Amino acid sequence: MSSYFRITLQRSGIGLTKRTQGVLKALGLRHRMATVFYPVTPEVAGQIMKVKELVSVQEVAKPLSKEELKAERRPDPGFYLESAARR
Amino acid sequence: MLSRTVRRSILDTKFSSSALPPTFLLPSRARYLQSTAQHVETPPQAIDPSQLPFRKLPPPRRAPPTQPESIAMPLILDSTIREMLPLLSTQPSHYVNIHIHGKPYLVTAGDTVRLPFHMPGVVPGDVLRLNRATALGSRDYTLKGTPYIDERLFECRARITGTESEPMRTKEKKKRRNRRINTVKSKLRFTVMTISELKINRLEDLEKVEQNAT
Repeated sequence: MSSYFRITLQRSGIGLTKRTQGVLKALGLRHRMATVFYPVTPEVAGQIMKVKELVSVQEVAKPLSKEELKAERRPDPGFYLESAARR
Repeated sequence: MLSRTVRRSILDTKFSSSALPPTFLLPSRARYLQSTAQHVETPPQAIDPSQLPFRKLPPPRRAPPTQPESIAMPLILDSTIREMLPLLSTQPSHYVNIHIHGKPYLVTAGDTVRLPFHMPGVVPGDVLRLNRATALGSRDYTLKGTPYIDERLFECRARITGTESEPMRTKEKKKRRNRRINTVKSKLRFTVMTISELKINRLEDLEKVEQNAT
């Protein structure tokens, strides 16, 4: 069964070496709190090891789309229409 | 001389009505027709009506969320809730920290809340059920959620009373080295609601509902 790394950049790469910043760029992490998904492979694991101080990593079953990530951040409305008045 | 008259007579017999031949026989058109054999128009019934400019549908109206399905997860009441919830409910008045779109509102029954936004799709008289609360308390007791209190423990309802609007605001927008001034007007609307009911459900009722579900 295939699984994915869910990688979130927690700390910025500004001020670090070009090599470290290059790894972030290769992972597609442009700014803080950016989240990317990659299949679990030794190559990606090595990239994560290079920037392990900056990212948080989770193993998930399937990658989320951009819309799903946005829906995850959106808070619950906290209300629902119980009885509607005459319109 | 003779040849010219002969030619003219032939032309006249061919195209007696007009001086020029029809357009599809003109040299330029004829070449075009010969070179592009696939110049075939699709029949008109293939046109999708949604692509026509005058049949544009209005944008979908935004409606408030409707009642969600009942929660399948059984209500787990630990010993502290069993012990303290009756004490909390016997106290005279209660407050609740309601969250609407993630923003907290500390309210009690009878309060008027002016939301900082215009709620789409509601009219005065609508009753909303508020079901996300982080804290529910009285003078001496507080029930705290992690992060939210289970919505089956309490009932909080709000009635929409109307919309308020702020006075018109104008802002002058000017760019440097340019005398043009753009005046932007804004007049925002806010939904107003009254907390009509705040009730803490009794333990016996909760257990009865649980037994019916199982």
